[in-house]
Amino acid sequence: MEATAFDGIVAAHHGEIFRYLRRIASYAAEADDLSQETFLRAYRAWEALAPDANVRAWLFAIATNVFRNHLRSERRRRTAHDTVRATRRELDTEGPEEEAMAGELRALTEAAIRRLPPRQRLAFTLRKLHGLEYDVIGQSLDCTAETARAHVFQALRKIRTTLDGHARPLAESTR
Amino acid sequence: MSDRPKVCVAIEPDLIAAATGEAERPAAERVQGHVAACRTCRDDFARYRAIDGAVGELRATPPPPGDAEAARERLIARLADLRTRVVSYGVFPSPLGPILLARSEHGVSLVEYLDAGGADGSRLFRTAGVETREDATGLEGLHRELLDFLAGRRTRLDWPLDLRFARSDFERAVLQATAAVPYGAVSSYTGIAVDVGKPSAVRAVAQALRHNPVPIVVPCHRIVGLHGDLVGYAGARLGLKERLLAVEGVPTDHARAGRITRHAMYHYDPNPDRQYCLPTCGDIGRRPLGQVKLFARRETAEATGLAPCLDCRPDLHTLQH
Repeated sequence: MEATAFDGIVAAHHGEIFRYLRRIASYAAEADDLSQETFLRAYRAWEALAPDANVRAWLFAIATNVFRNHLRSERRRRTAHDTVRATRRELDTEGPEEEAMAGELRALTEAAIRRLPPRQRLAFTLRKLHGLEYDVIGQSLDCTAETARAHVFQALRKIRTTLDGHARPLAESTR
Repeated sequence: MSDRPKVCVAIEPDLIAAATGEAERPAAERVQGHVAACRTCRDDFARYRAIDGAVGELRATPPPPGDAEAARERLIARLADLRTRVVSYGVFPSPLGPILLARSEHGVSLVEYLDAGGADGSRLFRTAGVETREDATGLEGLHRELLDFLAGRRTRLDWPLDLRFARSDFERAVLQATAAVPYGAVSSYTGIAVDVGKPSAVRAVAQALRHNPVPIVVPCHRIVGLHGDLVGYAGARLGLKERLLAVEGVPTDHARAGRITRHAMYHYDPNPDRQYCLPTCGDIGRRPLGQVKLFARRETAEATGLAPCLDCRPDLHTLQH
């Protein structure tokens, strides 16, 4: 029965998709909602999926799409409502400045990733944190593999520029 | 504007690729040669290497806290709920016209004769809380069995049923009582009302069968009026009722506009010995259909546990259709 097969997909991929969404979403609760939305959509589309399809890539594409839709509606809401509050909500971890104080290159890098424009952030996360191929990332972001690669490189440049503003950690780590 | 040498600007993409493990070998070698000679790019390379190292650590580190396990449990609960609401369907040709078959995870939920408008007018799309999914391939097996039934090659459709489209518990009770009327047998609306313990609810029984979501499978075509009239069927499809009864060998009288030929059927009026009779046995042929059940064949009567009457001996004097 198909339901059992889909249970297998949940068992195999939910953890990773949740981690991906947790990385790109601002809140744990958001990642929870988005991961549910991702799998409910996947369940509805499951019948139409080709038997030899790359299920992992397919789920990442759905998750990315769900997240981008979420981002768009959040942006609309933010514009319409309380800009100040929304700005404060951007990060629910410790502020990047505090992390800078701690001098942690890893934390700084994470904060820099969070500040990337959405497409660069998604391309970078999919490539560097989840190891997806560029053609798969292109499918998720509706662009070519080359454009996906360009997003990742732009992201690296931006991260570097951000970290250059925190001379100490990067200088220390390159010594 | 950058005042860096052109060669440094040109090599930057390869430099980033090389520092982050993305460069092909020739590009990586080009970068190596360049950084050996250019101090600024050497620094750049080192910075990107450091970023790549930090990203590697991030990759190995779990993301910020969030309860993945709780999220998965919630997802599984929502999927379970969704599954109960999903109804797959397909539209198939049949000798009785196009038919929509629908099934949930619990069983067959709709067998619907379609009008010229096709599936769009189906009650499937007018019922709240149902998620539809077209899956003709998945339902093809049911379609084949249905065709076999309509061709007389199969006398039972042992499908698990999901009576979610029935409108009340009373309707479900009526459908269950109707499902118990065997192949080739005929009962009346009054008889079903008695079977469900509401002998005066004859009209309500007729209404329930009019809305039967799974005709053919729940054989409402085997239920006739008190005088053997075919009365209603799936709206105004009396012709279909007659055809279905004909497939099962139930004789109908064309001259009397859609009435079963009662005198050509075996009769059973509940008795302690559970004996069935010829229609000529005593006054059984004149008793109201509300208390009598009719059988086209002796075999069907005997398959339900009845024995031939010892007076009229239907086993010796078989009826000819």
